[in-house]
Amino acid sequence: MKSDTAVPVKDAPKTDPRLKLIAARIKKENYKPDALIEILHTAQGAYGYLPIEVLTYIAKALHLPPSRVFSTVTFYHFFSLKSKGEHTCIVCTGTACYVKGAQAILNKLEQQFALKPGQVTKDNKLGVQVARCIGACGLAPAVVIDNDVQGKVNVEEIIQSINEKTGIL
Amino acid sequence: MNKIPVLIDEKKLEVDPHRTILEVCREHDIEILTMCHLKGIADIGSCRLCLVEVEGINKLMSACTTKVTANMVISTATERIKKYQRITTELFFAERNHVCAVCVSNGSCELQELGYKTGVDNIRYPHLFPQCNVDTSHPWYVMDHNRCIMCTRCVRVCNEVEGAHNWDIKNRGHQVRIISDFDTPWGASTTCTSCGKCLHACPTGAIWPKAIVQGQLVKNPGMITELVEKRKMRL
Repeated sequence: MKSDTAVPVKDAPKTDPRLKLIAARIKKENYKPDALIEILHTAQGAYGYLPIEVLTYIAKALHLPPSRVFSTVTFYHFFSLKSKGEHTCIVCTGTACYVKGAQAILNKLEQQFALKPGQVTKDNKLGVQVARCIGACGLAPAVVIDNDVQGKVNVEEIIQSINEKTGIL
Repeated sequence: MNKIPVLIDEKKLEVDPHRTILEVCREHDIEILTMCHLKGIADIGSCRLCLVEVEGINKLMSACTTKVTANMVISTATERIKKYQRITTELFFAERNHVCAVCVSNGSCELQELGYKTGVDNIRYPHLFPQCNVDTSHPWYVMDHNRCIMCTRCVRVCNEVEGAHNWDIKNRGHQVRIISDFDTPWGASTTCTSCGKCLHACPTGAIWPKAIVQGQLVKNPGMITELVEKRKMRL
């Protein structure tokens, strides 16, 4: 439904390159409301999460009701309304990893950074999450730091690895 | 159009094809309990109260979304169905905070009526007692999530009949809630037209006008059905 009524790309704030990225994707998808999920993927990739202002922009551009967009975002676990942090540390808590001491890793992370699963440090540098199983049971216990899977880790190695990536300590 | 024979509760009926089991039963005064069904808006089969047994199919079928076929043998009131209806009703009551005595809808509530019909005298499941908001931000209406049963009739009426799509659902599982816009207060909605159709579509006391006090609310869901029919006629 490409039409004159669709929000033109030039209306996207020129100062924010991330919004331009989303605007380009919307244009590529021909302003089709069906492409909502693809566009949300792009937005989440650009921002790391989905701020309400961006959702408002997407809803307007696609002529979708705000509630429909919000409904879609909250239905899928992949989408997040809150920032997950610049760097993420995902601890696998599947059966194998749990047996091999995933809880000890989580305890250490909480002790070191005062972060419980799902929380982000105040400066937004690091976020800790848990996953049920990342499918690397042979590498238990496994931790994913910034999309980098680290297997058969011990607590000290993780703290060191996080420190190298984020320079947080 | 050729009529097709079906057997419902051992009654032989000649009915139009392309109709749902629910429509056929309602036409022939066979009672089927429903909650999420409202004539005039799309059926989604979510309340699971209209389940019926169809011969040759092991699982129970929802009457509102299953079309009749020739020589279908349907039972609507077996012990198995009655058992499930009672379970479903009890789960409705256990899920949120339903207190009839202080509810605006007391006496004219579809959930209350359902409780009487299925003979619920106690609830065998632990109540969840969720912390629910009461949204009083709209100048005329109140949305009380404590009394909502997630039938989504308001969502469908707002979308299909009014065309505003103010309502939708957030989250999933037991954390689902009806939302207005971006889960913002109803009063701040940019899409709501304040038409009040959701209020009449709501089977319980979840949406009600502010001027009403306890037990005084009279809802008219039939108005929605009439409205849809009148619009089709285009007088």
